[in-house]
Amino acid sequence: MFFNTDFFFSMLRITAPILFATLGAVVGEKAGVSNIGLDGIMMISALFGSLTTYWSGSWLVGLTVAVLIGILVALLMGFFAFNLKTDIILVGIAINMIGSGGTLFLVKVITDLTEGKAMASTTSLITRNLQIPSVQIPILRNIPILGDILSGHCLLTYLAFILVFLVWVLLYRTPLGLNIRSVGENPNAASSVGVSVLKIRYIAIAFGGAMSGFGGAFMSMYYAMGWSQDMVAGRGFIALAAQAMGGGEPFGSMLAALVFGFAQALGIKVSSKGIDSNLVSPIPYLVTILGLVVFAIVARQRVKRQHSAAALKKTAEKNSK
Amino acid sequence: MSNKSLLKLSKRRDLIFTIVRSAAAIAIALLVAMLLIFVSADAGSVSAKLALTADALRQLLIGPLFKNSGAFSVKNFSDVLASMIPIMFTGLATCVMFSANQFNLGAEGGIMLGAFVSAMVAIYVPLPGVLLPVVAVLAAAASVAVMMLIPAVLKAKLGVSEMVNSLMLNYVVMYLIKYLMNSHLADKSKGQIMSYPFQPQSAIPQLIDNGSKLSWGFIIGLVFVVLTALFMYRTRWGYSIRMIGINQPFSMYSGMNVAGMVVLSQVLGGVLAGMGGGIEMLGRYTTFSWSALPGYGWTGITVAILAGNNPAFVPLAAFFMAYLDKGCSLMSTYCGVPSQLIDILQAVIFVFFAAEQFLSKYRQKLVVKAAQEELKQKAAAETAEGSVK
Repeated sequence: MFFNTDFFFSMLRITAPILFATLGAVVGEKAGVSNIGLDGIMMISALFGSLTTYWSGSWLVGLTVAVLIGILVALLMGFFAFNLKTDIILVGIAINMIGSGGTLFLVKVITDLTEGKAMASTTSLITRNLQIPSVQIPILRNIPILGDILSGHCLLTYLAFILVFLVWVLLYRTPLGLNIRSVGENPNAASSVGVSVLKIRYIAIAFGGAMSGFGGAFMSMYYAMGWSQDMVAGRGFIALAAQAMGGGEPFGSMLAALVFGFAQALGIKVSSKGIDSNLVSPIPYLVTILGLVVFAIVARQRVKRQHSAAALKKTAEKNSK
Repeated sequence: MSNKSLLKLSKRRDLIFTIVRSAAAIAIALLVAMLLIFVSADAGSVSAKLALTADALRQLLIGPLFKNSGAFSVKNFSDVLASMIPIMFTGLATCVMFSANQFNLGAEGGIMLGAFVSAMVAIYVPLPGVLLPVVAVLAAAASVAVMMLIPAVLKAKLGVSEMVNSLMLNYVVMYLIKYLMNSHLADKSKGQIMSYPFQPQSAIPQLIDNGSKLSWGFIIGLVFVVLTALFMYRTRWGYSIRMIGINQPFSMYSGMNVAGMVVLSQVLGGVLAGMGGGIEMLGRYTTFSWSALPGYGWTGITVAILAGNNPAFVPLAAFFMAYLDKGCSLMSTYCGVPSQLIDILQAVIFVFFAAEQFLSKYRQKLVVKAAQEELKQKAAAETAEGSVK
């Protein structure tokens, strides 16, 4: 069978890192911060997460370091973007440069110092017992089909989906969320009522960094064993697309991220049937483009319909007078 | 003081400021490099580490010009010039697109597609002599122009982010090329995945025959620098492209075809990136064997930022990046510092160049000083006038 429980299980697993980055993009965009460096941060966090896990022998330490590094890099981006007024897109590009080539430099240098030989990846360092553990959910695991799909995931997979709800609460049920949204909507108005635009933007970008840190840790400490070059493979960019397709809302963006997870899981499934993986690998990227187009068309039509409805209402009011 | 000389003065001030700022950005990058090299130096004592760092820095800074013996190295220098070729083209492409505020990052996939298409033409299309490379490069340019139409039209018609779409296209292009190579086009008699050899007449002739692969593509690149600069600053279309980058609503209300320019800028970017890919492929290689994105697109973005999106400065910026790249690879050959240091250096230089507020206090000081001098001169002139009376 094609769409069996395994398929949906792997779909959730594949979605998790994209979802983390997507949530970072959602909060960032709400505050008017377009962080395209999520991909680079994921790479950097993935590297340091796997290294510290190996050194400390504890995935928890590695995960913490990955998240902290993510926040640190994001704050650095914030310094350049907000204080030195570098275009934030360009700061993102720079971080992505470091994420793709700079990390390879770092891993060679660091392993040369600590292990005595320069390694181009950390895949030989992370063993199964250093992976972020998976958990069986007590009652859920015994439900026939649902249990196979939903139980036994990595801790972080659950965290990602729980965070969707938490991010919604943050944005719509807390004063901080109100500030974030108002800074994104109209920074001048927000600052006129005493909201520190700079502070809110730093918080938003740091949140994106933390999320990318989780995503990166998931990649190098669970999804794959250890860090290797370009392992994030554009997931940070796909997250940007998911944010756009989801209309910038947490739940909508989660659905969009799930679509990408579905496409990627499908790709893996198809290539296991003997089809060239190079033909299958571009599917998620193509789906991203298609998704953005469909979303744009739907949004446009909605606007049109609202306009025509408003116009009809006006003429109706005129006629009734 | 006349207005003209005032203008001249303020221009000179801007120039001084630009030079100081650039020097400071580069100095910071070198400092970062020094720190990283020092940390990575494979030696026990601090003094040995320092010696290694000094050696590595020497390779980085003057290695591209001089041999280890101290004599001028033609080979190294022509290597630098040769590696300018692709990044000049991607730099120009990025200049045109970024000038219009179109953050299209597709030059990376574009240069790979261009290289692939020109390679296919060079293998399979039977054309005589000079015609073959010309047709191959034109085909490369056309194919990438078509590729760029996708993000461009989607942006112009539907407002979909050209940045995300172009990034996604990079991956799509790469995988499709890999698929075509793997399953249909590879020369099965070779151990690696590579195409059949190009027809010999497809090669772009070399300027110097020393193995540097410094081809006539370099001259073509310089010609296109001039053409692009003329286009951007001396034609109506170029003006429109720059104008929508500066102020899109203004351009719209003054009757410019904004959607058309959004598309045009990206298609032109595609043409330039595609040509770069074709010229690089035919000038340097005899078979197609790229299996990943080459990175020239990203370097092209750095080049464009260093050049301030002005095509005229692209050769200088490309030379700088190529020089650093060569320095880094020499450093990794002779001193064991991983050559990917270039990516970190590039990022550091990049952000400082793009930082509007970097050293803005210094600029403020320059302006204040100039204004004070001006006032003093005026006062002096007035008292002089007064004494004459």
